[in-house]
Order: sequence, then structure tokens, then C-alpha cells
Amino acid sequence: MPRSVAVSLQAEIALRLGTLALDAGLAVDDGEVVCLLGPNGAGKTTLLRALAGLSRIDRGRVMLDGEVLDDPGAGRHVPPEHRRIGVMFQEYLLFPHLSALENVAFGLRARGVARHEARRRAAGWLERVGLAGQQGARPRALSGGQAQRVALARALVMEPRLLLLDEPLAALDAGARAALRRDLRRHLSSYDGSCLIVTHDPLEAMTLAERLVVIEDGAVTQTGSPEQVRAHPRSRYVAELVGLNLFRGALDGSAVVLPSGERIVTAEHDLAFREVFAVIHPRVVALYRERPEGSPRNVWPGVAEGLEVDGDRVRVQVSGAVPLMAEVTPAAVAALRLDDGGPLWASVKATEVDVYPA
Amino acid sequence: MEPEPFAGQAPGPGPVVDGRPAVARRRSLRRAPLGFTPLAVVALAFLTLPVIGLVVRAPWREIPHDLVQPGVLTALRLSLVCSVAAVALSCVVGVPLAWVFARVPFPGRTVARAVVTLPMVMPPVVGGVALLLAFGRFGLVGEWLYRWFGITIPFSTTAAILAETFVAMPFLVVTVEAGLRSLGQRYEDAASTLGAGRWTTFRRVTLPLVAPTLGAGAALCWARALGEFGATITFAGDLPGSTQTMPLAVYVALQNDQGAAIALSLVMLAVSLAVLVALRGHWFGGH
Repeated sequence: MPRSVAVSLQAEIALRLGTLALDAGLAVDDGEVVCLLGPNGAGKTTLLRALAGLSRIDRGRVMLDGEVLDDPGAGRHVPPEHRRIGVMFQEYLLFPHLSALENVAFGLRARGVARHEARRRAAGWLERVGLAGQQGARPRALSGGQAQRVALARALVMEPRLLLLDEPLAALDAGARAALRRDLRRHLSSYDGSCLIVTHDPLEAMTLAERLVVIEDGAVTQTGSPEQVRAHPRSRYVAELVGLNLFRGALDGSAVVLPSGERIVTAEHDLAFREVFAVIHPRVVALYRERPEGSPRNVWPGVAEGLEVDGDRVRVQVSGAVPLMAEVTPAAVAALRLDDGGPLWASVKATEVDVYPA
Repeated sequence: MEPEPFAGQAPGPGPVVDGRPAVARRRSLRRAPLGFTPLAVVALAFLTLPVIGLVVRAPWREIPHDLVQPGVLTALRLSLVCSVAAVALSCVVGVPLAWVFARVPFPGRTVARAVVTLPMVMPPVVGGVALLLAFGRFGLVGEWLYRWFGITIPFSTTAAILAETFVAMPFLVVTVEAGLRSLGQRYEDAASTLGAGRWTTFRRVTLPLVAPTLGAGAALCWARALGEFGATITFAGDLPGSTQTMPLAVYVALQNDQGAAIALSLVMLAVSLAVLVALRGHWFGGH
């Protein structure tokens, strides 16, 4: 069945909460799964609560399926109970005095569905999330993973047009997380409406999202597919997240001139932009004890500041005029005695530098 | 904190309290500052002696006979009716007030809250005088009630109920407000995202979750209402059958019929103990 490309959610939201000044816009297509990724304190949960109608916005507009939910200018604010928006909270917030079945049936009963019918539908959903035997259990008797699934079922049983998930896997231990990530993918793929997942975990974002929206300090810094964001980060935060060296500078011929005056030689010609990002993968950074004579156009002096073992690779933080993260083998670390902290040289071939407009 | 030789070990023999085995607790008995122990004994004696005196000196054989005297039964029935009405009234208007205090940050909330707790510390007889000046024939509101409807409130059962409500409702409001604050708005938020309107959320989520605290507040409120004397006698007077509640009856009976006075006192003592036992988890266990 062809997917509609109509835009489901259109939101421009500006509000102040404490020290946070949120001013962000985002759109979610019908049926799309979008991940809102950002560091703690970036405003992700604030944005989510505003979309759910739990917080008032100062300026902006929120529209879902053509209906205006929030418009402070026109004095319009639709309360959460009248929005077709489902929320799965980070702490799940299962009602402690109700059983799992009653929790899932709650929304249906609140909307006027008869008790018997509501319980039947709730039981169906509990079975879909694999908790058929836990219907009568109270939330405190459930494990973290089970509670998460009940919370998900409780939101999905309402068939919302937009599903908001706040850090769905954050409260789980690593073991439960992988299994539930797979389950979540499965449920989301069979779910009709649009979905916005708020997370600070890049793995969650990369594996669950069709599109990423990166938010930092209350503003959107980047949007794109996971592949696009991974290949072309546009902020320090994203670059660190995906493990790339990111530089921003002015293009001068084939070289990128950094604010410090240092130049990164690239293999690009005739690019029409002036302000650019340059990305260097740690893998292509070569380290030497003596200044190397060879083809690489980029050779910089530096000092090894920190070493971090990552599986069978070692990440070396090199400080200097051009600070870099290099990825080398443990054998190289031993051979060059990199843990000495002495001076060294880093080199990168011009052809390995990726450049794109800022 | 003194070094604890048994801290961190697996629970040994004996009951575990405060996370430490009884053996460990005995070892860490603190020595009281000089003079504290005798003073503490004096305080304990002072507080328990009157109750012991009442129980020991009560003419137990005559109590059943004294209790069924018409005057006593009337006072008992009246007290029950008035105090339960006071609690009901307190719940109906006090719970919404507690909710507003806990959830709605309106300007002047701090002042309003202070005023609401005033009846808790105000001398009850002063409360009675204040009620007269508000609802009496020449009172702020009472004047109009009399002029337009011919209604006189003072020295009626209604007055007794109002007097008890006035002194007891703040207990309910304060307790329920604290309970609502500690519950937080999280579950109410979740309910609203599931489509529950404000009333449904209150009925199916807030109320069940705050019910234990509401119960404790109502118990406190009832105990206070039952024992009210000063405001009742000032605003409602001492009219047997219509405003002579148990405390008033005790006071009057003490002059000529000690047996009745003691019987009623024992009844009220029993009620106080019952309330204490019912609230022990709330006060001393810490929810």
C-alpha cells in the first residue's frame, strides 16, 4: 500500500523553561518515525511535553493532521485529553493502583468504551507485546522491560495519530535494551501513525529512526536520515556521537582554512561554497614519531593526550594546532610508545577529507 | 556517627530494624547529656499520669449504667451527628481547596494558605467569637441571612456543626494538600494524554492514589471536631439536645454528676486512642 507523503505533524515551538530557551521547528510525515536526538538539557523532553499539550508554548504553532492544536497568537490551546497523541513516558507512569490490564484499558474506558470491550482490546494488546500472563499483575510486580511494554501497549491501544516516546529504552539495563529495541522496531513498523522518539542514545536513534532531528541548547542543528547525519555531522555534538573529526572553516581553493589559521588540504576543486565543514574519519589519521616525508598534504604536529581502548582498536586523542582523534591498532600504540605523551606527527591524505557546505 | 562494628554485615540473629540487627543497635546506645534522663522521665510521667488517673479512678462498675442515661446518650448522639457532618462538609469543600492549593499557583496562594491554617492555632473560643461576628444576627453575613431569609444560625445544631468544621477543616486541607504535592502531577499528566478529562482523572487516578492520605486527614479532622469545646460553646451555646456535644456535657456534668462526666470522658479517650492507632502508620511509619 503506497505510503501517503502528507505531513502529519507541523510544529514551531518557542518557550522558556527555567534556563532553557526552546525555539525549534519540526515536521513529521504521515507514518514516519523521527528521532529527536540531543544531549541532556537540550530541550527534548520540554518539546515533547509541549507537543502533548502538557506545557504551554509562548510563541509558535502546532498542527496535527491539519488541526491546530496550539496557537498562542490566536489564543488556541487544545488540552491533552482532546489530542489524538499518545505518550510513553520515560518513567512509564503506569497507574500503581491498577493492574496491567486495567492500565491498558484506562484510555478506552476514559473515552467511553464499555468495560467489557475495553478489557477485551486491552487483553489483545497485552498479548501482542508478549504479556498475556501478566494481565492481573500490579505495576510494582513487573520488571523494567515488562513495564515498558505495558506502557507502550497502553499508548498504542488508543490508536493515536502521533506517538511520542520519551527515552523509551533509557530505564532498562543493557541486556533488556537490545531485546526491547528489536520489539520496538517491530511494533513501530506495524503502527499506522507518525512517531517521534526522544533520545540521547545514538544507537537508539540510528536503529529506530527513519529521520533524525538533532536538537542542542533549544535549537535544531541538523536534520536528515541516519546515514546523512552519520556521514555529514554539522555540530561538535553529532561529530563526537558518530566518532568523526569535524572542522568548520572557509574554503580557499582546495584548502579549508580554520579559524586558527591552520589549513586542511582537500582534494575538492571548484566548490561553490565559502563556509564549509570538513570531516576526517579517525581511521585515516596516521601517526608518526618523526615528521613524515610522503604524499599526504596534511601533516601536523601534536601531542598524544589520551588513549581509549575500543575493542581491537585504540582511539588516540591528539592535541595540537589541528586537534584530532586517531584510530590505530594496539600494536601501533606499543611500537610508537604513544602512552609516553611525547610529541608526534599526524597526517591525513587530502583525498580522505570530506567537505560539504556549512 | 560512632563507628559501627556490625554495619554492612549480613543481618545477624534477631530482628532487623533501621537496616541494622538488634545486636548492633544495642551496642550503639547513645549516652544522654547530663540530667536529660530524669527530665525525660518527668515529662513522660506528666503526660501519661492523667490518662492513667482517668482509667484507674473511673468507677468501672457504674459506667454501663451511667452511659445509658438519657442526657449522656443525647450528648453522644449529637456529637456523632455533628462531627460526622463536620467531616463531610470539610471533605466536600476542603478537598477542592487542597487541590487548588497543591496544583494551581495563583497569586496570593501563600497568604491564603496561611489564613486557612489560622483556625488550627487560634484559641478556639476566639474562633467562636469570630464566627458570631460573621454569622450572628449582626454579623457580616448573618445580618443578611436574617434580613432576607429570617435565618438565625447561632445557638443551633447548625452552629455546632459550623463551629466544629471551622476548627477541624484546616487539618484535612493541610494533610490532603501535602499528599497531593508528594503525589505530583505525573500520573495526572499520563491520564490526560490517554484521553481522560479533568473529572475522570480526579475520580480514577488522583483520588484512589491520595485516598490513604485523605483517610488520615479525615480521621484527624473527625478527632478534632469531636473534641471541640470553645468555639462550640461560644457560637452554638450549651443547649442539651441541640448543641450540647460530649465535651460540653462533660464540663457541665462535672459539677453534679461526675459519673456521667467520667463515662463520656472515657468514650472520648477511646475514640482518641482509636484514631491514634489508625494513624500510626501515617505519623510514625512514614508513607
